[in-house]
Amino acid sequence: MQKLGDFKLPHFFNYPPYFTLQPVRETREKQIQLWKELILDYCRTQKIFVIRLEEEFPLFSNSVIERTLSHEAREAFLSALVAEGRAEWLDKGRRNCLILWHRIQEWADIIVNFVKDNGFEDSVMTVEEIRLGIESRGTELQGIDRTILVRALKLLEHKGKLAIFKGTSTDDEGVKFSV
Amino acid sequence: MRRRPGIGGLQTAAAARDQYRALGENVAKLRTDLMKEQLATFRSQLEEFARKHKNDIRKNPSFRSQFHEMCAKVGVDPLASNKGFWAELLGIGVQIVEICLATRPLNGGLIDLQELCKLLRQKRKHDREAVSEDDCLRAISKLKTLGSGFEVISAGKKKLVRSVPTELNKDHNQILELAQAQGYVTVDEVERRLSWTHGRAIDALDTLLEEGLAMIDDGHRDGKRCYWFPCVSSISSFGADN
Repeated sequence: MQKLGDFKLPHFFNYPPYFTLQPVRETREKQIQLWKELILDYCRTQKIFVIRLEEEFPLFSNSVIERTLSHEAREAFLSALVAEGRAEWLDKGRRNCLILWHRIQEWADIIVNFVKDNGFEDSVMTVEEIRLGIESRGTELQGIDRTILVRALKLLEHKGKLAIFKGTSTDDEGVKFSV
Repeated sequence: MRRRPGIGGLQTAAAARDQYRALGENVAKLRTDLMKEQLATFRSQLEEFARKHKNDIRKNPSFRSQFHEMCAKVGVDPLASNKGFWAELLGIGVQIVEICLATRPLNGGLIDLQELCKLLRQKRKHDREAVSEDDCLRAISKLKTLGSGFEVISAGKKKLVRSVPTELNKDHNQILELAQAQGYVTVDEVERRLSWTHGRAIDALDTLLEEGLAMIDDGHRDGKRCYWFPCVSSISSFGADN
């Protein structure tokens, strides 16, 4: 089985027609489903949060079979993820896509558990500390995309689980937990 | 044969008796074989009848008793038919249907027989008996009699199992055969190798595409569109497990 680093690629990735957007509806639906699963799996295991359509993304090409996904195909697959709530377009031009292999609510739950596990119930932390601090090492929060993190924090703020306050610059944005 | 007097005569008579006996045994064996064959035919016809008239047999008591009487005469127990060989074959049939349904989105309802058997063996990993291609074919022919649209077609060197009502004509079949070399064909290739007009080639390929039996590939470096056929590439195991 072909691999991308540690990641095991599914067999369809080596079948040339899957790199062309299929015209027949039923066939296309199956194709989109396979690609959606692959994209999510890959992003989850490689901790990729943003896919930029116009850049080199390992899944978009297979040099072994000499095939590359057209822009149209890339957009079709990512749009399908967006429709499912598993991704969001970051720009109107649909060139950049935020991948939600965990939904925002799932991230919120992870943050709550993180707080409880570390006894941070009444503590204050900066957003950067949550992302890159010592406590987050080895957890799913490590290296989380900042946009996603802030969205999850805002969701929790809305539920009264914490309060976000601004510091002197964006890097100082802080969070007071009341989980 | 006239008896000859004396020892010579006795020996001749004994030889004659042996010959008659051998002949008699042969005739008896022939009759038995014929009878067995007729019985087997009759039994399968009875089973077929039972299947077709299942509802009548269930609903009509007098019809039912007559049917049972007929069965008893030839040693067929319609109730016991649910076990053993008959059911085993039907069991395989059900699994074949499951596999064909599961792989249909990937191959359009046409699957290589060898690949089907491979997937079947994987499904039945824990069974003591291995499933042969013959077992598969037998189960499929049973499925066919149940009117489930199953069919085994030959395309070139391969046997393909069709699980959808798509009618494949000779043109389609020829393309499937052509595709076995590389897993795909181009319009030019079809025109050239089969000496068809452009229109005929496009028609056939379009139908195969619409039926989900073919997939297009526009990424070939020479820019020509390729039509790939999952059923000849053992693609059906792709994405179906993981």
